[in-house]
Amino acid sequence: MAEAVATTPLPRPRHVGMSPIAWLAAPALLLFVIFFVLPFGTMALFSFLSGNPVANPNVTFTLRHYERFLSDSLYFESLVATLRIGFVTTLVSLLIGYPLAHWMARMHSRVGHAMLLMAVIAPMLTGIVVRTFAWMTLLQDSGVINTTLVSLGWTDGPVRLMYNEFGTVVALVHIYVPYMVLTLTGVIGRIDERLEQAARNLGANRFRAFIEVTLPLSLPGILAGSLLVFALSISAYVTPFLMGGTDVLTLPMLIYQQVGSSFNLGFAGALGVILLAVSLLVVFAYNHVLGRFAGGEKMA
Amino acid sequence: MLRKSVTRRRLMKTGAGLAAMAAFGAPAILHAQARTLKITTWGGKWGEIMKGEVLPAFEKEHGCTVQADQAFPFVPKLQASPRNDPIYDVLHTNSNEQWKCVVEGLVVDKLDARAIPNLKDVYPYAVSDKIVGVSIFTSAIGLGYRTDKGLAKPTSWKDLADPKLAGQRGGYLIPVNSLGQAHLMMLGKIYGKGFDDLDAAYKALEALKPIKLYDFTGQMEKALLSAEVSVGVIHDSGIYRYDGTNQPVDFAIPSEGVIALEQVLNITPGTRVKELANAYIDYMLRPDVQKKLAEGVWYSPSNTKVKLDAKYDARLFNTPEKVAKLIQMDWKWYNERKDDIDLRVARILRG
Repeated sequence: MAEAVATTPLPRPRHVGMSPIAWLAAPALLLFVIFFVLPFGTMALFSFLSGNPVANPNVTFTLRHYERFLSDSLYFESLVATLRIGFVTTLVSLLIGYPLAHWMARMHSRVGHAMLLMAVIAPMLTGIVVRTFAWMTLLQDSGVINTTLVSLGWTDGPVRLMYNEFGTVVALVHIYVPYMVLTLTGVIGRIDERLEQAARNLGANRFRAFIEVTLPLSLPGILAGSLLVFALSISAYVTPFLMGGTDVLTLPMLIYQQVGSSFNLGFAGALGVILLAVSLLVVFAYNHVLGRFAGGEKMA
Repeated sequence: MLRKSVTRRRLMKTGAGLAAMAAFGAPAILHAQARTLKITTWGGKWGEIMKGEVLPAFEKEHGCTVQADQAFPFVPKLQASPRNDPIYDVLHTNSNEQWKCVVEGLVVDKLDARAIPNLKDVYPYAVSDKIVGVSIFTSAIGLGYRTDKGLAKPTSWKDLADPKLAGQRGGYLIPVNSLGQAHLMMLGKIYGKGFDDLDAAYKALEALKPIKLYDFTGQMEKALLSAEVSVGVIHDSGIYRYDGTNQPVDFAIPSEGVIALEQVLNITPGTRVKELANAYIDYMLRPDVQKKLAEGVWYSPSNTKVKLDAKYDARLFNTPEKVAKLIQMDWKWYNERKDDIDLRVARILRG
């Protein structure tokens, strides 16, 4: 009997209801439903309807908005441009953000850390439109950089620094680098420094210790920061609109045109669904590839 | 601290009290709702005058409240609201958007002249067959230019294509801006057989490259003021509003004529305050209101009886001879082709 009692596994505690802690997530869940699920659901529904059901009860289901997307290569080109701008912005943000985040995470001086943190966060206290206009005053033909170059005689005329993808990416990187840095700092800060020291004690130089130890352990931060910056970049509207001129045409710009100027909610909805679907595919692929580097596990 | 326990009797008393309040108060609340006029209006200097003077005076005169939406774009919000309870009672937009709205049944196709007495005093262009509703003001789209760049004052729309202006000329993102759309039609007229000659317009647009394009007139103003652009398509109001500020910019009226940028008011068919909506349009056409706004933002008034001060009178389009120079575009025609035009111009202007 005593043996039977000893070998019988303890009964699992019965869950009589949701944990009180779980209820704290309810407001966030509600916000997610109200501000993402419902709007996206409505947008997706509109993309399959022949008209506006609010005005016309006789609307029917149709695929014509998606057929329109496939009918002209300009739409596909704008999707590619959107993803390209997203990739480049993410990569440059990572290259700029990683060393800064590493420096912040390893800084022992509290004052120094606070100063760096302020420097990273300070630009976020200004609106995106203001920051973009600031870049315009720097990069435009009559801007600070071109005026200086011309006055020094280094160029005959203004160099084309904006109204193209270059200017767009520069402004986007400036806007989104803080998101990358803040995400990476948290992850790198939690990596035990002694692991790196152990690698060096075993003969690895600084670079190799970083490549073999710190970098793999910081992959979750790279993934999270990259996804955040990528998502923000491909959905950016104001900056590509102001900095890109006629050279840049992204899907968010097309969506705005359809909603705000052509008043075609169905096609705008279809473009939104396509952008989300393609972005999710890219995110899954990125997650998969990065997971392999991290040891065969999926990371998010 | 006085504590009262909740008893069944007290609860019933409170409930009865609330029910009585609701029964007697509801008509008053409904009445208050019925006297609210929902409109759209612009921001900036126009919005300041409207919210500071014009709308409070109307509210006082008619014992109502005016809810003014300044958050553009208005049409998608109107599209999303029920037809029998629209988000706006009076829609103020440019003419191209009114034509889109009338096709979708979002605004009425004709205003009731008996309910808006001031309609009889407007210039014919303000209620022409190119307008849905009534144009309460217009500005004139022509060419703005810098006076400090040694440029001759433009005399023709063709002057914008001057090779010397490569990279220094400005226009609009045609898919999102009606000035850009109107300019495209004008190119068809200048270089082709008419405003509907799109092939000629596309060819002329190609010849304007490199051109800096903006999404709204405020940005074009800034581009001209900062010398980012030396000559650009803009309405007269966007230049004249800097009168007296010593900015080296001026407005040129091309010999082929200027394009009317009409400020149009119209009523939504489902409005529950039709009388008040008509009264508002009539009020906006009143000579004293027209004078205040015309001189505040340099818009040409539609009412023939408006007497402007000398400096405004000299420049704005407020006589039969002057308004004859205004060219009105066929926005119904344009809107029907907008998607194809957007695709074509995007290809022309990219790269």
